Amino acid sequence: MRERKSVKFNLQKQEHQNGHLSPFKVAKLFDPDASWDKDQLGDVLHWIRQSLALVCGLLWGAIPLVGGIWFILFLLLSSGIIYAYYALVLKIDEEDFGGHGALLQEGLFASISLFLLTWILVYSLGHF
Amino acid sequence: MSSTLFSNMKYSDSLTVVGISICTAIVCEAISWLLIYRTSSYKSLKSTIDKASKKLETMKTTDPNTATIIKKSKTKKIDRVESSLKESSRDLSMFKFKSGGVVALVLFMVFGLLNSLFEGKAVAKIPFVPIKLVQKMSHRGLSGDDMTDCSMAFLYFLCSISIRTNLQKFLGFSPPRGAAGAGLFPMPDPKSN
Repeated sequence: MRERKSVKFNLQKQEHQNGHLSPFKVAKLFDPDASWDKDQLGDVLHWIRQSLALVCGLLWGAIPLVGGIWFILFLLLSSGIIYAYYALVLKIDEEDFGGHGALLQEGLFASISLFLLTWILVYSLGHF
Repeated sequence: MSSTLFSNMKYSDSLTVVGISICTAIVCEAISWLLIYRTSSYKSLKSTIDKASKKLETMKTTDPNTATIIKKSKTKKIDRVESSLKESSRDLSMFKFKSGGVVALVLFMVFGLLNSLFEGKAVAKIPFVPIKLVQKMSHRGLSGDDMTDCSMAFLYFLCSISIRTNLQKFLGFSPPRGAAGAGLFPMPDPKSN
């Protein structure tokens, strides 16, 4: 048992140094008992936001959804999903990571730009 | 067949803008890597900032059992580390600023090129009417009253922000979190209240 734990620790250390995605790292994304570094968590939240921006932009543009209200809805949806992820799935204590504000603003500006870009492009190219 | 498909699209110019933005982002990051990121000065500054940020975080975590006794000396230490962090962040900004002039020149030239190609032309359609402040950019140089017409400037702005930020993040060239301060929406410093 002790050997398995030390092997697991060494594997974790090596993967953290290499920075490569692995099944072990993917499992950590849904593990409420995993310990998180501020940078690691920030990066994960950033990429989740970008993925949401891309998906929503593609969807909103394809349907199409028209009107400023859908922009507001995207903001609420993406922030809600991020909050649900770190508070309910990861069960993070936000005080250890700078509070809700710091966590919710990770990748926010880039995701808004990406969302608008995708929405505008798909809408323009798909419906005109 | 694909060229016929694109030429039939009313706003196919938007793809040209996006394509040029992607190429520009890659070129700019390559220049930044050459002039900034691979230098020993940048690496040591970044390392200093990372270490100082982590040290500051550890120090700010208060131990309730010893809080009262060591509070004064700990506050002084925290202040020292914070000043050192601010100084390193300032040095990093200055260093990047000096080398970033070349990147700025490239961006300026590309913007000029795009402007000459698409001035007065709507390159895309915005699916909502932007607020007045945004309309100054989104409707820049366009005739008519349709505020959903999208100018090259606005599309290029969106491309620059989204593509460059994510490219930097992907390549690991993002500024260290300690140097970035509180990010886009800074929270008020409780010490100053």
